[in-house]
Amino acid sequence: RSFSFKVVLLGEGCVGKTSLVLRYCENKFNDKHITTLQASFLTKKLNIGGKRVNLAIWDTAGQERFHALGPIYYRDSNGAILVYDITDEDSFQKVKNWVKELRKMLGNEICLCIVGNKIDLEKERHVSVQEAEMYAESVGAKHYHTSAKQNKGIEELFLDLCKRMIETAQVDERARGNGSSQSGIARRGVQIIDDEPQVQSSGGCCSSG
Amino acid sequence: PAALPLAPLGFTDVNLNSRNTYEVSRRRSAPEHLPHGGTAPAEPAPPPQEPAERARHRVGIAGAGSSFAEFFTRNFFTKRTKELKPAVQSAPGWKLFGKVPPRENLPKDSKIIQQEYEARTGRMYKPPPPSARRKNIEFEPLSTTALILEDRPANLPAKSVEEALRHRQEYDEMVAEAKKREIKEAHKRKKIMRERFKQEENIASAMVIWVNEILPNWEGMRATRRVRELWWQGLPPSVRGKVWSLAVGNELNITPELYEIFLSRAKERWKSFSETNSENDIEDAGASVADREASLELIKLDISRTFPSLYIFQKGGPYHDLLHSVLGAYTCYRPDVGYVQGMSFIAAVLILNLEEADAFIAFANLLNKPCQLAFFRVDHSMMLKYFAAFEVFFEENLPKLFLHFKSYSLTPDIYLIDWIFTLYSKSLPLDLACRVWDVFCRDGEEFLFRTGLGILRLYEDILLQMDFIHIAQFLTKLPEDITSEKLFSCIAAIQMQNSNKKWAQVFASLMKDNKEGDKNHSPAPKT
Repeated sequence: RSFSFKVVLLGEGCVGKTSLVLRYCENKFNDKHITTLQASFLTKKLNIGGKRVNLAIWDTAGQERFHALGPIYYRDSNGAILVYDITDEDSFQKVKNWVKELRKMLGNEICLCIVGNKIDLEKERHVSVQEAEMYAESVGAKHYHTSAKQNKGIEELFLDLCKRMIETAQVDERARGNGSSQSGIARRGVQIIDDEPQVQSSGGCCSSG
Repeated sequence: PAALPLAPLGFTDVNLNSRNTYEVSRRRSAPEHLPHGGTAPAEPAPPPQEPAERARHRVGIAGAGSSFAEFFTRNFFTKRTKELKPAVQSAPGWKLFGKVPPRENLPKDSKIIQQEYEARTGRMYKPPPPSARRKNIEFEPLSTTALILEDRPANLPAKSVEEALRHRQEYDEMVAEAKKREIKEAHKRKKIMRERFKQEENIASAMVIWVNEILPNWEGMRATRRVRELWWQGLPPSVRGKVWSLAVGNELNITPELYEIFLSRAKERWKSFSETNSENDIEDAGASVADREASLELIKLDISRTFPSLYIFQKGGPYHDLLHSVLGAYTCYRPDVGYVQGMSFIAAVLILNLEEADAFIAFANLLNKPCQLAFFRVDHSMMLKYFAAFEVFFEENLPKLFLHFKSYSLTPDIYLIDWIFTLYSKSLPLDLACRVWDVFCRDGEEFLFRTGLGILRLYEDILLQMDFIHIAQFLTKLPEDITSEKLFSCIAAIQMQNSNKKWAQVFASLMKDNKEGDKNHSPAPKT
């Protein structure tokens, strides 16, 4: 059997969202990649304990100005990776904003990962490990440390996220079998065949249009 | 004077030369080289006394034809782009496709071959400096000429007559085969060259028309059919910036002096920014200042991410400071818009075509157009209207693909945002993007959406086979080999008419609809 999941990457500009995905999907690292404006899309296939997983990863623009476009990209996501730069306190604050928005718009079904990137710059760290981990726990997210440059922690991050998304999907499915599912949940686990029209999601500015 | 057609002549020349040089090579490999030169091509390393080039031929032929072909093509194209002029002067008679005057070319006789031969043998004993070597690569024979049938070395038993005969025959076949291939390839190359020359000539003649006729009478002629048609063909690079400037206009009445004022303001701000940065954060500075500083920081980061493959806008590159200046001055000129990611691409394309102050003037005026303002202010409701208008023409022009996209709930924002924000400069090859800009300057915003439909049309068959994520992936990273002829013929086939309504009318009616529908429309969430 197989699962298809959508994962969205969010975070301030230049914290390394694109680098993280490029490292994961293509094992590339480049200091000079191009600015992300709208989302760019990458895919990855995994096999976790005999379960095939197709990941569609949406990498988004970081500039605050594009925040308003967020709903276009995060709607229907199974997982979100919220990235900050450990040398930049502001970028951690932005992560907190995203957490609030995602919880409000998508509820608790979305698996959240908070990722402190650029641990190769540990000496310039401005975000305390303890604070970040405590915050993650308080909002039901998991915290990770990565370096796209040195390829540290990235495989673990995605693998862990996939396992959590599979769990969530299976819980969803069982709930659905019991007849107690809600359309909002059912739509997200893509492995479940939609038997109802794509009801617009519970919020988001593009939902009513 | 016998006006010989240039084409067949040039072609004969190729064969002639290759055969002649072939003879030369054969002579060279005669007795005095036998002890080491008579070995089979498969021999791993050539004897050190031999010129490296000869060894390369043998390896090339014995190993793989493709490697030699690659080598040749590379050499050929380098010559075309870089050494067109010097090649004409320096190579008597030995011209592949260059424009060699027939008269010089005809009396190509044994004397020249002799000189050539002497030049080569002269080099045999002392390897030439690299530059001279490179020059001489132009005299390289084609692969047929380098294939040499040698007798078996004297220290080995002689071949039987049948074997020798068979080898002779095989050798002849190989040479004939290679020659055939070369003739075919030469034809192909010549065709490409002819097209290029034709293109260059078209550009040159268009340039004369633009400079002498159109630009002096701009206002009177810009809307005429003839000019519009010429415009569609693409602007000659030498007048491109000028025409863009004129077409974009200067509604904002910006002068070069005004630019200097805003630039110096930007420079002051950078200075104070770096000072406050070293003093560490001042909390009472307020959110707007922090935002602006973030914006300045972002410019710095984005500049290095603008056309990274060109290496001219990056730190230390020739246009780095220029791009920095134009963007910095703009954030001071329009603090209400500020710096938005994507702007660096637009400024960069303008800088490549205009002087600094003119680039700024065009930049500020371009971003002041309604469509650009809507996008760069990330006015989401306006953006949705542009997308809705786009979809009207999408359905009209490409109904099948439209339904396919609909079935996946694939909305235009997935792919259009990048295209519109950077006016295709991030998504299309730069020269092609410039051609889109040309007609965008002629037709306005509608052409941006028409181009988008042209791209969809060009790849319609491929897209119809794809699912959501692959379409999204494909459209956000278009193939690099997209050509202007194909794209523009697809754009030309897109009709910007919907039941007699043009783009502007469709857009206006959508604006009206939405105003009426606004009452029961919840506003976008803001966090």
